[in-house]
Amino acid sequence: MAHEQQLGATGIVRGSSDKQMVAFVRSAIGRVSVLPLIIYAVFAMLLGLPLLLVLVQAVMPGLFDVNAPDMALSLGPLEKAFGSSRVGNAVVNSLELAATTAFTATLLGGAFALLARRCNIPARRFISAVPWLVFLTPSYLKALAWVLLISPGGYLAQWGILSTQFIHTFFALPGLVFVQTLNLFPLATFVIGAALAGLGGEYEDAARMAGVRPLRIWLHINGPLLMPAIALSLITIFAEVLSDFGMASTIARVSNFGVLTYGIYAAASDYPVDFPMAGVQALILLLLVVGVAMVDRLLRRRADPRLISGRSKNGRTYDLGLWRWPAAIAALVISSLALFLPVAAIAARAFSRTLGAGLTFGNFTAANVLTALSFGTDTDGALLRSLAYAGIAAVITCGGALILAAELDRSRGILRPLVLGLSLGAVAIPGIVLGFGYILMWNRLPGLRNWPFPHYGDASLMVTGYIAAALPYCLVIIMGAIGQLSPSLGEAAKLHGVGATRRLLRITLPLVLLSVVTAFLFTFIRTMFELPISQMLVPVNGPPVPPMVTHLFSHDQDGLGSALSLLSMLVAGGGAGIIWLFAKRFVTRRGVASAVMPTPASSGISSS
Amino acid sequence: MLLTSSVMAADLIMYDALDFAATAAKAFTAKTGVTVDVVEPGGTGETLGKIAAEGDNPQFDIVWVDGSAVMERMMENHVLQPVPAAFYDSIKFNDLGKSLIPASHAFVPTGASTTAIEVNTKKVPADQLPKSWADLEKFAGSVASKDPNMSGPMYQWLAGVFQTEGVDAGKAMLAKILTNKALAGFPSGGPVDKSVLTGDAKVGINQDSSIFAKIASGEPVVAIYPTEGSVALPASIGISAKTQHMDAIKKFVAFMTSPEGQAAMMNGDDTDFFFIPIIQGVSAKPGRKIDIPFVVLDDKLASAHETEWKTWYKDTFVQ
Repeated sequence: MAHEQQLGATGIVRGSSDKQMVAFVRSAIGRVSVLPLIIYAVFAMLLGLPLLLVLVQAVMPGLFDVNAPDMALSLGPLEKAFGSSRVGNAVVNSLELAATTAFTATLLGGAFALLARRCNIPARRFISAVPWLVFLTPSYLKALAWVLLISPGGYLAQWGILSTQFIHTFFALPGLVFVQTLNLFPLATFVIGAALAGLGGEYEDAARMAGVRPLRIWLHINGPLLMPAIALSLITIFAEVLSDFGMASTIARVSNFGVLTYGIYAAASDYPVDFPMAGVQALILLLLVVGVAMVDRLLRRRADPRLISGRSKNGRTYDLGLWRWPAAIAALVISSLALFLPVAAIAARAFSRTLGAGLTFGNFTAANVLTALSFGTDTDGALLRSLAYAGIAAVITCGGALILAAELDRSRGILRPLVLGLSLGAVAIPGIVLGFGYILMWNRLPGLRNWPFPHYGDASLMVTGYIAAALPYCLVIIMGAIGQLSPSLGEAAKLHGVGATRRLLRITLPLVLLSVVTAFLFTFIRTMFELPISQMLVPVNGPPVPPMVTHLFSHDQDGLGSALSLLSMLVAGGGAGIIWLFAKRFVTRRGVASAVMPTPASSGISSS
Repeated sequence: MLLTSSVMAADLIMYDALDFAATAAKAFTAKTGVTVDVVEPGGTGETLGKIAAEGDNPQFDIVWVDGSAVMERMMENHVLQPVPAAFYDSIKFNDLGKSLIPASHAFVPTGASTTAIEVNTKKVPADQLPKSWADLEKFAGSVASKDPNMSGPMYQWLAGVFQTEGVDAGKAMLAKILTNKALAGFPSGGPVDKSVLTGDAKVGINQDSSIFAKIASGEPVVAIYPTEGSVALPASIGISAKTQHMDAIKKFVAFMTSPEGQAAMMNGDDTDFFFIPIIQGVSAKPGRKIDIPFVVLDDKLASAHETEWKTWYKDTFVQ
């Protein structure tokens, strides 16, 4: 602030008139008072008010009553929810699934990180890329793929390698833990892998020189040092499972395994519609997720200084000898189960007439893929719409996040921590809760429901929901990059009379371009496969890909649903890959030294 | 333009939960030039849930789902408006069709089906086939069923059982039959079919058109109509109380109840395409049984108890 004041004073002394001074003062006042208001208003409209409308249902059950709306307070919904065995089961199921998966996924992800980062296994680069690919594949697709593989009459059952007892066991808690573990182990790999990278080799080398055996080094030195990262991984995965809707609406639904996120959807979507019950379940879910997120923040604050050291040197790579082969095979088996087998199941179903006829030549057909590709079909429409919505959402979100990040980087008051706090808090809001809040806010609140843009029933509201859900992530990614830029760059340009917009476009943007592209691609892919908001706010002019796929699967049209999924992954993944390679080459050619590339875990990013 | 529907608004917005609705709407547009935005939120429950969530600001002009009681209830809640008498006058209903016209004018029936017992003939010997709902007690623990909160046909069935058996006796009977919660709360007919075909369940309580769709595809199942009687399940078009497009709706209803519209509604292989026609001179798809002794549901009573009975089912049989 003092620096800015100094610059301002310099500018005034250099040659200014009274008018310029007045203009400067006005602009300074305007910036101080208007910007925070705009930011608060945006966050309130995008996140705060929808969330409030959902939660208030828990104590104001008559608020949206069609016949006689009232604002009377009542504990009735809370009593009803806590007296309901179904809600009780959903809470217990959610906690049981989240706790077990947090443990198993952290164990698997930690082992994966150790193998990929510290062991000399074959195909190490390839194995290192697998968690990213798993992470970017939507959870509901992986769940649907496992239904194709394991269900009675599914591919694995047809080969006679699964007993009926196994199938029954799979479509219950054990199967859900298995699928969620394979879905979320990449988060543990990112968190523990980052900690392993920051761990350095000094302590280990010192211990080895003192004659300590490797097992003891890991138990008594590296293990305790990694403990904050392990705890962080447990918490992140626990929160992820709690707020996941992809698995809840597919494999958990098929398994008749009720969890909170599906409970919210059912209460707000079935008849009799029960908004208060949805509100209570959302409140319970949010309290659990926010509680976990708070612990996460506390741990992260404590963990970082312990693990990241400027003097760190690379950790030692272990030579596993002959054991490197079984280790690599184990990693490849996990990769196959987590990624290749589900994608292969989707591809096989896309090119099959029926599931029951299995993988035989006579059952081969290109009809599903051709239908999905044919111009003018419902599936083709869904794919084109999703691409357009994802592109629009990514451009607006990244543009908004870039401007906001640049402004916040200049501010030195309470605004920066406040917006960051709001953003990180918003990460804890499950998409299903946000979507429900948007229905209440934009279709039921007088004044808002007649707004032309965004408007309930139009794609504009769904895209607004996408933007709201993605903005916190983009902001964290881009702020990380801008925070690394030296203030002198902008100040030098400012002294030469370069305006704020030009400074942003000509100086800041080129320097953080790779991070902006990262944020863009992340938002694009995430939006392309976003299920809960898409399901809740499906527009009148036709559904995007995710609800269309789940609809096809629930209506015995697995083949077409698989073909649409496969095409979506190819188009979105291929497009994103091309943009990424192009951007990287462009940035490298211009000699930009670095761009901040946070791992998903470091910014609390989720894939559900 | 992509983000707003108002710029490119269709003439009608239809919410539906029927397999043939999109196909039939395309045929209607091709014939009349009147455009229709087809919105399918999921099953009947999800469609009705979306309408309930929209409250006094509904977005649809017409809703087309299976069931009469649900339509009656929506009219009582002023979500729907009575169908003008002139609409019915121009339709050439057959006898079954005439019997389905509601006194309240809550909806226009466009076809019919019912709920039957689905049996895999490879899993249950011919001499052990059930003949009534009560016979299903012998298969307790192995009976697949749908959740009436999510399935429109299933609520019609539940209300029908309570009508023919009495509410308390009906509840007691179902408590003895649906003893396996893992099989009793499926969201739609597809999983019931799958359970019966794979042997996970020995019998299923399912919409008969779903069973005929499976028979047509060569699966070894039969539809058994219980001796207690079957409650007719009309596919029903309801009109939003707030629609501004009554002329377009009139054309839509006229088309769907014409031979040409009925043919479009049969132009497919999924469940709902196997309905019983209720228009004179229109025949059902080959293999579809039509001579079923129907019981007419008391829609008023079923509508009045909809929330209570659905909640009871959910609390008792759904995990």
